[in-house]
Amino acid sequence: MSDIRPSSNPQEDPLEPPPTAPRLSSLALPSNEAATMEQSGASSLQDITPETELSTLTTQQLQELTQKFFDDTLSSRPLISALGSIGSLRTEYTSPSFISQLQYLESNGYVGIRRTRGDGDCFYRSLAFAYIERIMQAPDKELAVAKATSQLYETQKLLDAAGFQKMAYEDFYDVIVSLLETVVNGSNGSQPLTPALLLQAFQDPEVSNSVVVYLRLLTSAQIRADPDSYAPFLVHPEADIPLEVREFCEGFVEAIGREADHVQVTALSRALHVNVEVAYLDGRNPDHVDFVKFDNETEHDTKPILLLYRPGHYDILEREKSGASA
Amino acid sequence: MDARLRRVNKEIADCKNDKTSNIAIDLIDDNPFHLRGSFPGPEDTPYQGGHFEVDIVIPDSYPFQPVKMKFITKVYHPNVSSASGAICLDILKDAWSPVLTLKSTLISLQSLLCSPEPNDPQDAEVAKHFMMSRSSFDDTARYWAHIYAGAPSPKEGDSGKGKAVRDEIAIAGLQHAHVEQFESLGFDRTQVIDVLRRLNYRGANIAKIPDDRIVEELLK
Repeated sequence: MSDIRPSSNPQEDPLEPPPTAPRLSSLALPSNEAATMEQSGASSLQDITPETELSTLTTQQLQELTQKFFDDTLSSRPLISALGSIGSLRTEYTSPSFISQLQYLESNGYVGIRRTRGDGDCFYRSLAFAYIERIMQAPDKELAVAKATSQLYETQKLLDAAGFQKMAYEDFYDVIVSLLETVVNGSNGSQPLTPALLLQAFQDPEVSNSVVVYLRLLTSAQIRADPDSYAPFLVHPEADIPLEVREFCEGFVEAIGREADHVQVTALSRALHVNVEVAYLDGRNPDHVDFVKFDNETEHDTKPILLLYRPGHYDILEREKSGASA
Repeated sequence: MDARLRRVNKEIADCKNDKTSNIAIDLIDDNPFHLRGSFPGPEDTPYQGGHFEVDIVIPDSYPFQPVKMKFITKVYHPNVSSASGAICLDILKDAWSPVLTLKSTLISLQSLLCSPEPNDPQDAEVAKHFMMSRSSFDDTARYWAHIYAGAPSPKEGDSGKGKAVRDEIAIAGLQHAHVEQFESLGFDRTQVIDVLRRLNYRGANIAKIPDDRIVEELLK
């Protein structure tokens, strides 16, 4: 129970996923203003040209570069986008190691990407979407929905135990459960959920953010319920100082717009009983892309959730290019 | 019903039903998104005995965006603007979570009165006073609680805003002797108070600031 190592790399330290990824400032993403002000200050990006090899950059430079990219695109990008091809990322990279990593993904069948807005909620939003999508694609949809709703029902006890007021979380719970129920029934006699309707739901801020918040609270409750498993890994993302469980959960899990890291991915995949595989696209190793697996479920009636991690940001990785079929 | 309104109504009802927290939330007019919160000043603080009111505005995307709060009652505290009532508290900014409620946020404000954070000030002059002389700061905060929040008078033990005579020197956290010293040189009292407050003429600072410097400021 207390082992939170990624199963693919048992020899690695669990909180240093291969390869170590730089983090964005948690202040920067939710607030455009703060980010822009930081950008106008002394920037280490001046010497970087399109020819610069990314592996030569410092962690801070990579972080600023990624930040700048997300700042530039933040306002125009939908909360979650229609399925696109992984090859489309090529236009954003000139680094040979990134390009060859993209080729690696393509040649191994990871041809699709569903992009999320870089607002600090991207991990939770990506995981939520892929979670419901997997249930839609399950061989026995009714069984998968029944199993997921009963597990979600149980998670309320975890939230209660964490001290969250029912009044403050029940609206978010209702949204995620109603969405799940439409996988089989449709809402108010309408059609059952289709990939297009799911996308539409996740582009609606109220629905999308309600689901994100429920998953944030669930992540926090999971960490609070099992502090011994997580305590050694609870550090301030920028200052690198150890934090109390409560400080970490309030400041870096429950708060809107705060980036998720290895601890949050571990806790949430465990709380939802899902298997998650995260592909690390960071240009550090041109030969292949590392996948970190978070395995929690032995009965594989749904496929693992695939996420693509680029320094500071999560998107959904897919094995198909077009979202029309199941 | 609109999700925001449903949530706010639940929160107001929850607060009404809770008799133990001493937190109140009232409608200012008929608008459920503009409210007035209030709570008693915490015990064993200079704010004890006072009644503190807070202006609450619920933004359109509440609870995904933090609630907007500022003090209606004037408060002498490093993290509250002495002029506008604006509050410096992380949960009202980037540490907001939708699991927080109006009541829990008001309780956090009450706790903020117990534990000032002078290193992250909203009001720099008040923070300087706090760091220079805690006992002088406490006297001023207590005086403000008496004048503005209806706390018992620090001196006579009586209560009520009505009886209190506002003493501008005490409100600025200064001593009469110091103000009178420069007034006697022919300067206007309001101006003297302003300069001494800005220079933080309190505690150990008094010995460090030569009279010439003050006169120089007064002549500007």
